[in-house]
Amino acid sequence: MTDLQHIRNFSIIAHIDHGKSTISDRFIQVCGGLTEREMNEQVLDSMDLERERGITIKAQSVSLHYTSRDGETYLLNFIDTPGHVDFSYEVSRSLSACEGALLVVDASQGVEAQTVANCYTAIEQELEVVPVLNKIDLPSAEPERVIDEIEEIIGIEAHDAVQVSAKTGLGIEDLLEELVRRIPPPVGDSDAPLQALIIDSWFDNYLGVVCLVRVVNGRIRPKQKFTVMSTGRSHQVERVGIFSPKMKDLPELGTGDVGYLISGIKEIDGAPVGDTLTLTDNQAKAPLPGFQPSQPRVFAGLFPVSSDDYEGLRDALGKLRLNDASLFYEPETSTALGFGFRCGFLGMLHMEIIQERLEREYDLDLITTAPTVVYEVITTKGETLMVDNPSKLPPTNLVAEIREPIIRANILVPQEYIGNVITLCIEKRGVQKNMQYLGKQVSLTYELPLSEVVLDFFDRLKSVSRGFASLDYHFQRFETGDLVRLDIMINGEVVDALAVIIHREQAQIRGRELADKMKELIPRQMFDVAVQAAIGNQIIARTNVKALRKNVTAKCYGGDVSRKRKLLEKQKAGKKRMKQVGSVEIPQEAFFAVLHVGKKQ
Amino acid sequence: MLLSFPAPPPLSLYIHFPWCVRKCPYCDFNSHEPHGAIPEQRYIDALLADLQQQLPAVWGRPLESVFIGGGTPSLLSPEAIERLLSALRAMLGLGPDIEVTLEANPGTLEQGRFAEYRAAGINRLSIGVQSFEDEKLQCLGRIHSRREALHAAEAAHAAGLENFNLDLMFGLPGQSPAQARADVAQAITLEPAHISWYQLTIEPNTAFAHAPPVVPEDDALWAIQQLGQETLAAAGYVQYEVSAYAREGRRCRHNLNYWQFGDYLGIGPGAHGKLTDAPQGRVERQWRQRHPQAWLESAAGADVVAGRRTLGREDLVLEFMMNALRLREGFASALFQAHTGMPISTVEPALREAERKGLLQWQLQRVLPTERGHNYLNELLQLFMPEEK
Repeated sequence: MTDLQHIRNFSIIAHIDHGKSTISDRFIQVCGGLTEREMNEQVLDSMDLERERGITIKAQSVSLHYTSRDGETYLLNFIDTPGHVDFSYEVSRSLSACEGALLVVDASQGVEAQTVANCYTAIEQELEVVPVLNKIDLPSAEPERVIDEIEEIIGIEAHDAVQVSAKTGLGIEDLLEELVRRIPPPVGDSDAPLQALIIDSWFDNYLGVVCLVRVVNGRIRPKQKFTVMSTGRSHQVERVGIFSPKMKDLPELGTGDVGYLISGIKEIDGAPVGDTLTLTDNQAKAPLPGFQPSQPRVFAGLFPVSSDDYEGLRDALGKLRLNDASLFYEPETSTALGFGFRCGFLGMLHMEIIQERLEREYDLDLITTAPTVVYEVITTKGETLMVDNPSKLPPTNLVAEIREPIIRANILVPQEYIGNVITLCIEKRGVQKNMQYLGKQVSLTYELPLSEVVLDFFDRLKSVSRGFASLDYHFQRFETGDLVRLDIMINGEVVDALAVIIHREQAQIRGRELADKMKELIPRQMFDVAVQAAIGNQIIARTNVKALRKNVTAKCYGGDVSRKRKLLEKQKAGKKRMKQVGSVEIPQEAFFAVLHVGKKQ
Repeated sequence: MLLSFPAPPPLSLYIHFPWCVRKCPYCDFNSHEPHGAIPEQRYIDALLADLQQQLPAVWGRPLESVFIGGGTPSLLSPEAIERLLSALRAMLGLGPDIEVTLEANPGTLEQGRFAEYRAAGINRLSIGVQSFEDEKLQCLGRIHSRREALHAAEAAHAAGLENFNLDLMFGLPGQSPAQARADVAQAITLEPAHISWYQLTIEPNTAFAHAPPVVPEDDALWAIQQLGQETLAAAGYVQYEVSAYAREGRRCRHNLNYWQFGDYLGIGPGAHGKLTDAPQGRVERQWRQRHPQAWLESAAGADVVAGRRTLGREDLVLEFMMNALRLREGFASALFQAHTGMPISTVEPALREAERKGLLQWQLQRVLPTERGHNYLNELLQLFMPEEK
């Protein structure tokens, strides 16, 4: 048991690649949390995907003992935060369990938009923010400039920022000292009724639901009965402990501690993130302030290529959902693609990750339809519908108004790319709200339709700024737009899964591009395939995939049939990756084609 | 359930000759440029030793046809052919009217060769002309000229071997429909009994695959094919297989046996054989050492067999269809039963599906590809492939 004065709960706010994981690895090393042999690089990113992409998706924690220069031993609870805009709601969750945050900035790259946004969240939550310059060993490091940037853009004092190199280990101990000195210890009352905040929860195949909790008041130990305050459901504590970073059972979690709690909860919804746990027979009067539940913003249909995989897909989504309360899914039926699921995601990265995990971990062959945002549709009868699927848009004559989600985007970009970025924002129907010169960077604020952002905005932004621009955004409101549904017809039949909702002004060009892209993607078949793009009854583009004249092997004389056979097998395997719509074989990529149009300058 | 064969299918013999004066850039057959003189004597000895080992498996079964292919088997002297065929007569008892074909290259013929071959027992020639245009021949890496091609056909007639085939290619680099038709028309004037007219295919692991020539586009190929088929039909050459056209009664019996999924022995380097063991209800493929030297050295021993495989039920279905559906007339339902050992009902779902797609007709006693099925044979065949997981 550590007394409160010797506990420090903190997060690290950093942009992707600015060295958060390396710093945390150094901390673990200095504090002896793992032996050399166990020191696998970037311990905290535990999913393969996280490690591959170098991003953190789920919050995690590690508790370390640090003996400072004053001879005292401190318990440092580090709560990791995800670094991508899609997961910004997870950041606020993690921050709410801390008293302080390290703001890590790359000493040569400077401040990025995402960091700014997260830093503001930390300041709003009254956290002590300790600025840190990383990668100070690089020849390109410009600590002075970056310090100015931090002060100008974020507005916090940064002249005493700790300068470190996580790679070489330089300055790491100074940083730990500074952390202990500056970040305040938690306050709380060990004798008060238990209030423990669920920072995160996930499903473990062996343990059931594991909750990561911050004990704000009181204490909790195994065998005690506790109540989930929002649901009123009670469970018995099986184990509690901390991540050191290995799981280490403890006899109890006390006030100020951050650790895990395992009980008989079987479903992730039984332990909602942001909820408060209290003891059943000594209940707290009120729950702790929670967080806003996350809202899925991007929707797409996921369909198995083979209808036999439908059950498998359902099971897999169910399992992923156990670990990811922000994943939404419900059954969807498409005339073109059959049975599948309409899924809601936090953003494009979230979608890609889910898609990749389904294909990789569950070995499913999937067709993903073009992602779409949610539209608010007002019917002529005055009803309001939330439409997350273009094919569900009521007929034009029943629609009074379509409202699209608008986001407020904060973009930080070096001055030399500002022209490109503004051009891009205009192309994406953006409205400038603010522009501010901050040192060498410019801070741009735009209101943009979310639908434009989910398509390819992020990639485009990176490419027009040679990777230097960074983006953060928040949902703002629904706003009426001149929007239409663009249908794609294959051999005269509307393919529901190919429909997209777009702005009328772009419809002509997008329609033509989409039809051309389809022509490129759909292989020549035994018959002509007509591709048309239409708005309502009006055809705005048409193209034709000419029939293959023949498909036959010229020579076959007994002998070695194995090679001819391989050719057939190859052709057949190619088809497996396609979906039969009517009599036309459509490759998986085609359903995603809308993402690949409009990219040429 | 065992495969059930009331009687073994008809049996043919394929003999592979592995050497060529020069390897053509499109050729993916087992052919090699010889280093030094061809060891003719040793080659014939090895063929006979190879055959000798396989005799017990076909004891008592009559041969329907013999085909000596290659490579360029017309590099063999008439004496060697004579010795080979005499030995075959002794070992297998060749019937008086069986088809005995020799592949011949117009660039390798000495005066009077065909007559001598005929005297040795060859009664059909397959002449690898490919084109009558010198420029195209050169581009194909052929060693013969137009003049030699014309001469070869005339020589066949002169030797009394009217039953000859001309091998002709289309879709050659830079070929126009008119040029392709001129080749076909030229072939027809030479009055062959049979014309194999097939599209140049760039096969993997050939010189052409490494440096692909520019061949006509899909639509141009189609135009060429239409034009050539009309020309052939007008001259009385009836298409009976994807690339085979014959005058009345002159279809190639040896190839027909392949396409009807009959049995065949294969001797010589890399030769494949397929034999039905009717009592055991088993069909096996066997292939021999591919490299000429390796084969020569092992021909008398068990090592000559490089591999063997018993065909499973799914293999039998697909391989039967890969062959039989090449034929315009398709196959009699009974032939499926006789040559795969399984009732036609085994493939009923696939046949129905193919019918539904307009690729196949299934009449009472006969299954045949439609015009569409013939043109998209690969699509049709995929319906007979097992669904893999």
